[in-house]
Amino acid sequence: MSSAAEGAMTSHELASGGGPVPTGGVGRRVLGNASLVVGVVMTVALVAVAALSLVWTPADPNLAAPADRLLPAGSHGHLLGTDALGRDIASALMVGARTSITVAAGAALLGVVLGTISGLTAAAARPVVSESIMRGVDILLAMPGIVFALVLAATVGAGVGSTIFALTVFFVPSFTRVVRAAALRVLAEDYVTAAELYGRRKVFILARHVLPNIFSVLIVQFTLYFAAGILTEAGLSYLGVGVNRPAVSWGMLLKEAQDTVGVSGPLAIWPGLAIVFAVLGLNMLGDGLRDVLDPRLRKRSS
Amino acid sequence: MTTQTVLDVRGLVVRRDDLKAVRNVDFQIRAGQRVGLVGESGAGKSLTALAVMGLLQPGWTTEGQVLHDNVDLTTISDREFSNRRGRTVSMVFQDPLSALNPTKRVGAQVSWVIRRHTKVTRDEARARVLDLFKQMHLPRPEQLLRAYPHELSGGQRQRVMIAMAIACYPQLIIADEPTTALDVTVQKQVLRLLDGAVKDRGSALLMITHDLPVIAAMCDYVMVMYGGRLVEQGPVGEVFRSPRHPYTKGLLESQPTLDNIELEGTTRLPSIRGSVPPLHAMPTGCPFRTRCDRATAQCEIVPELEGDTSQAACWHPLDAHSPVVGA
Amino acid sequence: MLVFLARRLAFFVMALITSSILIFALIRLAGGNVASVMLGKAAKPEAIAALSKELGLDRPLPVQYFDWAWGMLRGDLGISFRTREPATSLLLERLPVSVPLALAGMILALLIAVPVGTYAATKVGTPIGAFVAFTSQVGIAIPVFWAGVLLSLFFGVRLGWLPTGGWVPWSASPIDSIRSLALPVIALGLVMAATLSRYTRTAVLDVMNEDYVRTARASGMTKRGALLRVGVRNASLPLVTVVGLLAAELIGGTVIIEQVFSLPGLARMVLDQVQAREVIVVQSTVMIMVAFVLVVNLIVDILYGVLDPRVRVSR
Repeated sequence: MSSAAEGAMTSHELASGGGPVPTGGVGRRVLGNASLVVGVVMTVALVAVAALSLVWTPADPNLAAPADRLLPAGSHGHLLGTDALGRDIASALMVGARTSITVAAGAALLGVVLGTISGLTAAAARPVVSESIMRGVDILLAMPGIVFALVLAATVGAGVGSTIFALTVFFVPSFTRVVRAAALRVLAEDYVTAAELYGRRKVFILARHVLPNIFSVLIVQFTLYFAAGILTEAGLSYLGVGVNRPAVSWGMLLKEAQDTVGVSGPLAIWPGLAIVFAVLGLNMLGDGLRDVLDPRLRKRSS
Repeated sequence: MTTQTVLDVRGLVVRRDDLKAVRNVDFQIRAGQRVGLVGESGAGKSLTALAVMGLLQPGWTTEGQVLHDNVDLTTISDREFSNRRGRTVSMVFQDPLSALNPTKRVGAQVSWVIRRHTKVTRDEARARVLDLFKQMHLPRPEQLLRAYPHELSGGQRQRVMIAMAIACYPQLIIADEPTTALDVTVQKQVLRLLDGAVKDRGSALLMITHDLPVIAAMCDYVMVMYGGRLVEQGPVGEVFRSPRHPYTKGLLESQPTLDNIELEGTTRLPSIRGSVPPLHAMPTGCPFRTRCDRATAQCEIVPELEGDTSQAACWHPLDAHSPVVGA
Repeated sequence: MLVFLARRLAFFVMALITSSILIFALIRLAGGNVASVMLGKAAKPEAIAALSKELGLDRPLPVQYFDWAWGMLRGDLGISFRTREPATSLLLERLPVSVPLALAGMILALLIAVPVGTYAATKVGTPIGAFVAFTSQVGIAIPVFWAGVLLSLFFGVRLGWLPTGGWVPWSASPIDSIRSLALPVIALGLVMAATLSRYTRTAVLDVMNEDYVRTARASGMTKRGALLRVGVRNASLPLVTVVGLLAAELIGGTVIIEQVFSLPGLARMVLDQVQAREVIVVQSTVMIMVAFVLVVNLIVDILYGVLDPRVRVSR
């Protein structure tokens, strides 16, 4: 267990400091990779909007103004119009970006950390331990994430916290699988066997050889699960078991729109577009990163 | 025996974008002839074979002509070509585990070839597969028909591959390193079976290998390939006894034999200086000149194959009687 | 093969037991006293005690668990404490909506994804290939409920061809039932097809790079023949696994799409119960959903064993 804890700390340091990247030709591949460039641009735009919402929004997204209800897009002071209670849609979308990032990135980060711990343990521990972890993973994978969130909503109630928790539980098994597979590949390398023969401790090998080598895998998986988290959070909030007012979520906005004015209002279009934009950007970023960081997979995904 | 030509390769070039892996290769194979193609890995041997079979991976393109049975294989459609593959020309691959479909029984894989090219019933095809398995000395052939590739040993798998290749009595069999992936102890047995099967059918054989003793045992003619070009060719005895291209000589000398391993352990195995340059760094002119002791300014021009019974592409060929160390 | 079957069955049973304990424990751990959760914060202690007694919640936890598990095995999912209806009959009423929706969605997804993915695999590196890849990338980014909203906007509101929501029971008019399922099925199928077609493309590409495909062509298969007879067939192995993994996603998608089109399926039932804090019934219904996913995975495993001779020995 101590080995795994150390592994997680190192991965955390790496995540904030930037880890080793295979040298040679990375720069050229970055520029030649359309998916990566477009993905970076879209993701930066998303994060920028979310950051801006911390300091400025056109209006308070929770401030109802019955006089201004259902204004069309382009109205004075309301770029994208207002909803059935006169609340500003553009502001709600901006704050929604923040919620999406908080929930999805938070859950993906927690998932990476916990998944790295359990994945490395499963890769390096005795067969009994490793086998029980992997069987547990198989069982957890059979639990639909939404179903899990439903249970939480029924017992502790919906909210940002329980949504992050539900997503994390949903992500950890998949991360464990990916990390274990990647770690096993590294552990099978000759130089690792050599280090083992040399008498290096498992903990040292995991921290020194395995983690740096699976770092690119972690980055790519984080990006892809970030995207999956946005989709799932939107789904949960749409069902009313995710994020609720006063917090604002894109999925929640769609539900409100459908409940009040039906599907035909512009309110049913904007949040959907926002979700597609965010998820598409992150997925393209993740695919692009995989191409650049893991040249072995390049042929397949190009 | 007839002297009809079963394969006539003219000016074959195999390239991927600007990189030429096979550069202007010409050779002929007559009916029943056994031709060996030797060279280090990366010399272009396998690409030559795959180009002849029309089975290059996407991205590779060919130039030149591959005449077989009075047609140029490079010009016919995939459908026409598929009517020939396995029937008039067939191939044995290097790794028999990955070359057999893991989800199909081996009997079915062999009988598919027969039923693809001949009008026989399922039972007749099965009987012929059984015969083939017996010819290949496969143990318990009846049961083996229903076995999957992973249930067979490496040698057995390769014998199944050979059975597939000879099933339709092809005019030409191409064997690409057929024993490299096998244990040393079964290599000889598999080679003997391939030898016998080719002989029985009067097929021609193009044997690709880097193993010179295999060529000496199986073939009557040898072509030496380096850097995508044929650098020497001729009857096996002549070429091996008195190589004229410095590369061939180096190749022969770097073969370990009992003679050149002295008990004191002081002699090291002679090897060729440097290593095969990657495709994009292949020198102009003679591809071997950067590793050759005899190279001069003249070698910047590509030498042609010249000679009578055996030919070498070299501006400064070795004497006919220059002794080979250790061979 | 028998050993293989026995092992898979053993895992299935183990998974069923473990996940039921997990769900049971989770509800106790996350929610605390079940009866007080059910009655809400304002409930009087006497009322909570009474409900606890009625539902047997005052007994030791292992007894409660075995009681619940035994009931599940006999098909007794508990009783709604508000309406006094048995949950089993509530559930059975909903299945004629949810099951056809989920199954048809999955089948539609496969019908779209396998040909599209296979085609994309043959077009790698071409503009068409890039277009197909980008389209499925966009498809993956579309949330299933928004796909439903867009479809009902276009086919329901704009064109008026199909209902945008609601349900006509099978017994009343099967054709109208199918009409009310059409848009939900299409939304679910399209979104799942986007994911599935990417997997298909990768799987077919992987197989087509295998040596045995070259052998097949060397023995007389055309390019097309090798793609269809060897490529797609052998790619079906990894795909079967993916379909198993997607079973969990299918449940989630079905729940959401039922909400979009106001279909009286399982989702509505679970959401209503969540809202009403019918903890015991939620616990049972969730277990049924997990069991469904486990059953799908068991079938997938067995199918895998039938398709891949190597698995039967090695696992």
